[in-house]
Amino acid sequence: MNTLTVVWVASGFCLGFVIYLLPQLTRSLALAQGFFSLGYGLTLAVQPEPVRLRLLDSFGVGLFLDDLTSFLIITNALVTIAVIFTLWESDKTPFFFAQVLMLHGSINVAFASTDWISLYVALEVLGIAAFLLITYPGNERVIWVGLRYLLVSNVAMLFYLVGAVLVYESHHSFDFVGLGEAPPEAAALLLLGLLVKGGVFPLGLWLPMTHGEAAAPVSALLSGVVVKAAVLPLIRCALLVPEVEPVVRLLGVGTALLGVGCGIFERDVKRVLAWSTTSQVGFILAAPEVGGFYALAHGLVKGALFLVAGQLPSRNLGVLQQQGIPRTLGIPWALACFSISGFPLLAGFGAKVLTMKNLLPWQVWGMTGAAVGTATIYAGAFFLPWKPLPTPLPAGFWWAMGVLLGGLLVANGVYYEAFTWGNILKPLVIIACGWGLYWGVVRRVQVALPRGWEQVEQILGLMSLGLVVLFGLVWAW
Amino acid sequence: MFLEVCVFATIFLGFLGLLYKRNLIMKVIAMDMMSTGVIAYYVLSAARRGVFTPILIPQRQVDYADPVPQAVILTAIVIGLSIQALMLVGVMKLSRSYPTLDVRDIELKNSR
Repeated sequence: MNTLTVVWVASGFCLGFVIYLLPQLTRSLALAQGFFSLGYGLTLAVQPEPVRLRLLDSFGVGLFLDDLTSFLIITNALVTIAVIFTLWESDKTPFFFAQVLMLHGSINVAFASTDWISLYVALEVLGIAAFLLITYPGNERVIWVGLRYLLVSNVAMLFYLVGAVLVYESHHSFDFVGLGEAPPEAAALLLLGLLVKGGVFPLGLWLPMTHGEAAAPVSALLSGVVVKAAVLPLIRCALLVPEVEPVVRLLGVGTALLGVGCGIFERDVKRVLAWSTTSQVGFILAAPEVGGFYALAHGLVKGALFLVAGQLPSRNLGVLQQQGIPRTLGIPWALACFSISGFPLLAGFGAKVLTMKNLLPWQVWGMTGAAVGTATIYAGAFFLPWKPLPTPLPAGFWWAMGVLLGGLLVANGVYYEAFTWGNILKPLVIIACGWGLYWGVVRRVQVALPRGWEQVEQILGLMSLGLVVLFGLVWAW
Repeated sequence: MFLEVCVFATIFLGFLGLLYKRNLIMKVIAMDMMSTGVIAYYVLSAARRGVFTPILIPQRQVDYADPVPQAVILTAIVIGLSIQALMLVGVMKLSRSYPTLDVRDIELKNSR
């Protein structure tokens, strides 16, 4: 298993570079990497013991992979496979696919690493690959969006680096565990970096524009897995260091509520999905011990939603309500909306039940509110009229939907104990409340939220405030 | 202590530059300044217990600098360089299409 792990960690990058040498094999190689990761993730899931590798003797540099990691690896693999299927017949150059593999590989490294420095390297490589994917179309708008992403994330990572050396000074290793002994300023700096990268509100205000403006398959990757590369370390810290756990849980509730609050009034489909990512990250963080399964359910759904959104005739919800959506796209769209709202028979249901069970008493009301809000957001997407419009879909599109939605059905098996009458009734009531809220209130009011907060200077300014607040939170706990 | 103050002042001034400079190139340079401060902090942290180059010679009994932060920050320097290069290329392309480098102007054009 150890050799396999090392080969798997390196394979994403190696195959990415091989693509440059053998451009005629681009798509097959990319797909092979996706299936390799899927196989590795499944092997890891059935492995009784976690894989633990120490690369250097006492500096804490190593890899650690357990059940939690396997969920995220499978998510990464499935979303990557789906994106490659969708783009199979597109005219994307080998460069694009090579970057997809770099992104895939660096996300895998971020999932596997247990020390601050390997994580830093993985997150930075990921940032570069994401930038190149976002700016692939080459027009000025995407270049600006990519530049803004790179600037914000790099500044956050500079703060993170200062935190990492503070951990080293107090613990003499870069291991995640060292955070427990480190001074509160170290925890605040490290959390800041991870929260910005993970798109947690309000530090992740870069996210809606970035995920909204990127091409649909790239958004699927960004929303489906890239944010989770920073969320998994947050979960790990919460599980390893008791002082950090309440902070992570609190931030989870906050971002879940604020994400839906902003998403409800958004009229642009892709921005709605992006805001929903912000709030779903909150669900993952709110119950760290079961966050892996939620991340899987969310990654598959969000990948499917973005891929379908890329084929819709318009991005404006108002226009779509009048013109309708093509009937062929209606079914995957509705299934994905159902899953993310927590409707039984899809993985989103089990994930939501599991998360709700593991909440602390003070979190329950907030998260129930966020669940209602999620149902309201997706009511707007679900109640679109289906029309027999002709839509030319790429051939691989249905394969991609098969992978993602099939994954959602199969993933039900992870937590089949969820199917009890009480558990089934509660999400149905939540969905009914959400739909009622949509028809009663949201549909009738027009609120345009100010977008000034998403300017790059505001985001940078919020970072300094966030640092102070985080320091206060860590210090108080 | 004095050196630490200088290092943190560099980081802080870099961050202020990021906030207050409106020109994109200046923002990138401010980011570079911030990363210079961070790198200096690693070097300083390595030199806490000694400044001798950490090459072990058995008969020499001196206070060696800690090689780990130095090795680690080398990676960060390389990454920082490549990100800056990438950003400057992006800024060049932007400056051709928008004919401006003012962040607020670019933001205004993009908000529509």
